[in-house]
Amino acid sequence: MSMEMSDTKSARPVTPVTIASVRGLKVHFQSKAGRVHAVDGVDFDVRDGETLGLVGETGCGKSVTGRAFLRLLPVPPGILAGGSVMFRPQTTCPDCQGDGCERCDDSGRRPAPCPKCRGQGCTTCDQTGIESLDLLTISDARMRDIRGDRIAMIFQDPSKALNPTLTIGEQLGEVFLQHRHADLLAAAGIAEDQPGWQASALRRLASQQDRGTDRLLVKLSGAMRRKHRAIRQALDERIAAALSETQIPNPQRVMQSFPHELSGGMRQRVMIAQALACDPDLIIADEPTTALDVTVQARILDLVRQLQTSRGSSVIYISHDLSVVRHICDRVAVMYAGRVVEIGDVEQLFTNPRHPYTQGLLAAVPTTRTPRGQLAAIPGSVPELIDPGPSCRFADRCAKAHGPCASHDPALQPVSAGHDVACFLEHPITTASRARA
Amino acid sequence: MQLRDYIIRRLIVLPILLLGVSIIVFSLTRIAGSPVGVYLSHEMSAAEVLQIEQRFNLDKPLPVQYFYWLKGVFQGDFGWSGVASAPVADVFPAKFAATMELSITSAIVAVALGLWLGTYAGVRRNKMPDHITRIVAVSAASLPLFWFGILLLIVFWANLGWFPVGRSTNDIWESIAHPTGFYIIDSILAGSLTALLDALWHLVLPSITLGFGGVAIIARMMRSSLIEELQQDYVDAARAKGLPERLVLKRHAKRNALVPTVTVIGLTIAFLMQGAIAAEIIFRWPGLGRWMADAVVRGDQATIMTYVLFTSVLFLLANLVVDIIYAKLDPRVRLGD
Repeated sequence: MSMEMSDTKSARPVTPVTIASVRGLKVHFQSKAGRVHAVDGVDFDVRDGETLGLVGETGCGKSVTGRAFLRLLPVPPGILAGGSVMFRPQTTCPDCQGDGCERCDDSGRRPAPCPKCRGQGCTTCDQTGIESLDLLTISDARMRDIRGDRIAMIFQDPSKALNPTLTIGEQLGEVFLQHRHADLLAAAGIAEDQPGWQASALRRLASQQDRGTDRLLVKLSGAMRRKHRAIRQALDERIAAALSETQIPNPQRVMQSFPHELSGGMRQRVMIAQALACDPDLIIADEPTTALDVTVQARILDLVRQLQTSRGSSVIYISHDLSVVRHICDRVAVMYAGRVVEIGDVEQLFTNPRHPYTQGLLAAVPTTRTPRGQLAAIPGSVPELIDPGPSCRFADRCAKAHGPCASHDPALQPVSAGHDVACFLEHPITTASRARA
Repeated sequence: MQLRDYIIRRLIVLPILLLGVSIIVFSLTRIAGSPVGVYLSHEMSAAEVLQIEQRFNLDKPLPVQYFYWLKGVFQGDFGWSGVASAPVADVFPAKFAATMELSITSAIVAVALGLWLGTYAGVRRNKMPDHITRIVAVSAASLPLFWFGILLLIVFWANLGWFPVGRSTNDIWESIAHPTGFYIIDSILAGSLTALLDALWHLVLPSITLGFGGVAIIARMMRSSLIEELQQDYVDAARAKGLPERLVLKRHAKRNALVPTVTVIGLTIAFLMQGAIAAEIIFRWPGLGRWMADAVVRGDQATIMTYVLFTSVLFLLANLVVDIIYAKLDPRVRLGD
C-alpha cells in the first residue's frame, strides 16, 4: 500500500521542543487472577510537530498508553499505578497573533506561559516559564478543558465512535459548543460580560449548560430567538468549515446526515474533522485506518498528515501496521508487554533495528518475495502480565537470551543519537548494577 | 417512508384489525352459550323466552347475529349489560374514565420510576445502589400483583388506615360536576383542592399496585441497556470531546438506551390492562376491569364484547405510539419497510 501513497513525510523540520513527556507510566488492571500490568513503566517524549508511531502487537499496552493522555481509562478495573504524563499546552503566539513570526519559529504557536509566574520562571514551572500539566493528576474539570481542545483522539472504528442517533452536525457541534462558545457568542453579538437574564440564558445555551427553561425562553421571546439563531448559524458555519477541511463534499448535506448514511471513509473523515476542530496540540490516533478499506486508508493517512502539518500539531500514531508507520511517522516507539523496548528515528529503527523483538517484527513483515506458506513468525506468545517479576519480558521468546535476561530488567539506554534500546545485548549488565539489583 | 404516511397507513388498517378481533371474540363468547340469560327471569315461560330470542335476533344463525351486533355498534348500541342492568353504552363512559385514570397514573409511576431507577443503577453498576435496585426489581417482577395489592391493602388500609379504598369519598365526589369523568381533571376544572387531594389519595394504593410490576421490568431493561451503551466507543468519543459526564449520559448513553426500553414500555401498557382487573377488584375501583370480571362470571356477553373492542383499540394505539417514539429516537429505524 505504500506504493499508492504520495510521499508527504517530513514536510516540516522536527523541532526538538517536547510537547509531552511520559515518565514511568504504569496502568494496571485488577482481574480475578491478579493484577495485570498492562502498561508497566513506559517512557517517551513527544516532540512538537512530530508524528510518533507507537507499534506493537495486540495487548502490548499501546492503546492504553494513548488513552492515558486523555485519562479515558475504565477506573476501576483500571488503576493508574504510577508515573506521569506531562503536557505543555500551546497557545496562539502573542507576538504575531498566529501569523507566524521569528519568536514562534513561523508556527504561530507558542507554549502557554506558566499561570503562576506568567512566564517569568518559578519553582512550579522549574524556571522554564512554560505551563506544564501532569495529565494524570489534574482535576476532572481541567481534564475536560483539555480533551477535544488541546488533545484530541481519533478512534479506531468510526462506525462505533460516532453516536448512531445524532446527526453529524449535532456531534461535531458539541466540540465547538464545549470549547468555543465564547467565539460563537461573539459572532452573535453577545459580549462575555453582558448583563441581563436573556444574555445569561443564551450563554448557558451556547456552552451546553442550559436549564430546561432556557429553551422555552428562546421559543417565547422573538429577540432571543434571533440571537439564538445567530449562534446556531455561527456554529453551522464552523461545522461546515471543519467538514470541508477534511475534503468532505457537500458539508451542508453531511451535517444533516446520520452516521449510518455515510461510507466508512466519510465517517472517518468526520471523526478527523471532529478531532481537529479546535486545532489541538496533540492528536492521539488509535489505529485510525484499521477498520477501513485498503484503498481508503492511503487517502485518510495523507489527510491526517496534511492537516497535522498545516497546524503544526503532534500526532501519536498507534498502529500494528509497520509499513504505515514507516511511511507516516517521524519517530517510532516499539512496545512489548507493557514496555517500550526500542525508540528512535524511523529510518534508523527500520534500517538498523537493535532489539531482538523489533528485528523479529520487521522480519515478520511479508514482502512480495516471501514464498507462499512461509510467513515468518516470532516463536512463543506474549507473556501473561499478571504480577511479572524482574526480567526482560521478551526473554522467553528471544533467541539471544542469556544470563541476566531472566533475572534483571533492562532499561532504555541510548545506542546512538536519538535511538534508545532496552536490551542487555546492547548494554551488558555491569557487576555494579547487578549488585544494585 | 415518511412518518406521517406510516401513521395514516396504520390508522387505515386499524378498523380492519378491529373487525377481525371482534369476529374472533364474538365467536368465542358465543361458544359459551346464548346471551339470552341476561334478559330472563325465573317466572318466564318457554314461549316468552322464545319471544325474547326472536326480539334480539338470537334465534338466527351466528353470522347473522354477528351482523346485527355490528349494526348495533355502528348505531352506538352496544347491547344490554346484565351486570349493570343498563345499556352498555350508558354505563361504559364512566367506567372507562375510571380505568383510564388508574392506568395512566400507574403508567406514569411505572415509566418515571422505572427509568429513574434503571439509570441510577446502570450508572452505578455493581455498587451498592445497583444491588439494592436489583433486589427491589427482581422481587417486584416476581410478586403476583393480586398478592402485593392485598398486602398493601392489609397494611395501609386495614391496619394503619392511612389510605382509603374505592375511587372517591362520596360527599366530595358529589360536591363537584363531572364533565370528563376523570376525577383529577374534574376536580381541577371545578377548582376544588379538596376534591383533587381526595382523587390523588384514592389513587395511591391502586396505582402503586398496578405500576409496581412495570417499574421492575422497565428498570431492569433500562439498566442493562444503559450499561451496554456506556461501553460503546461513542461514549468514550463523547468524553474525548470534553463533554461533562452529565451530557455524556443524557445526550448520548441514556437516549440510546431508551430505544430498547421503549419496546418494553409498550408491553407494559398491555400488562397494565390485564393488571387493572385485579387491582380494581382489590381496591373496589369502579372501572372496566371489575365490571368485566363480573361480566365474565355471569355471561354478560355484550359487556365482554365492548370491553375487548375498546382495549383492542387502546392496545393498537399504544403500539402505534411506541413505533413513533421508536422512530424518533433511532433514525436507523425505517417504519413500514
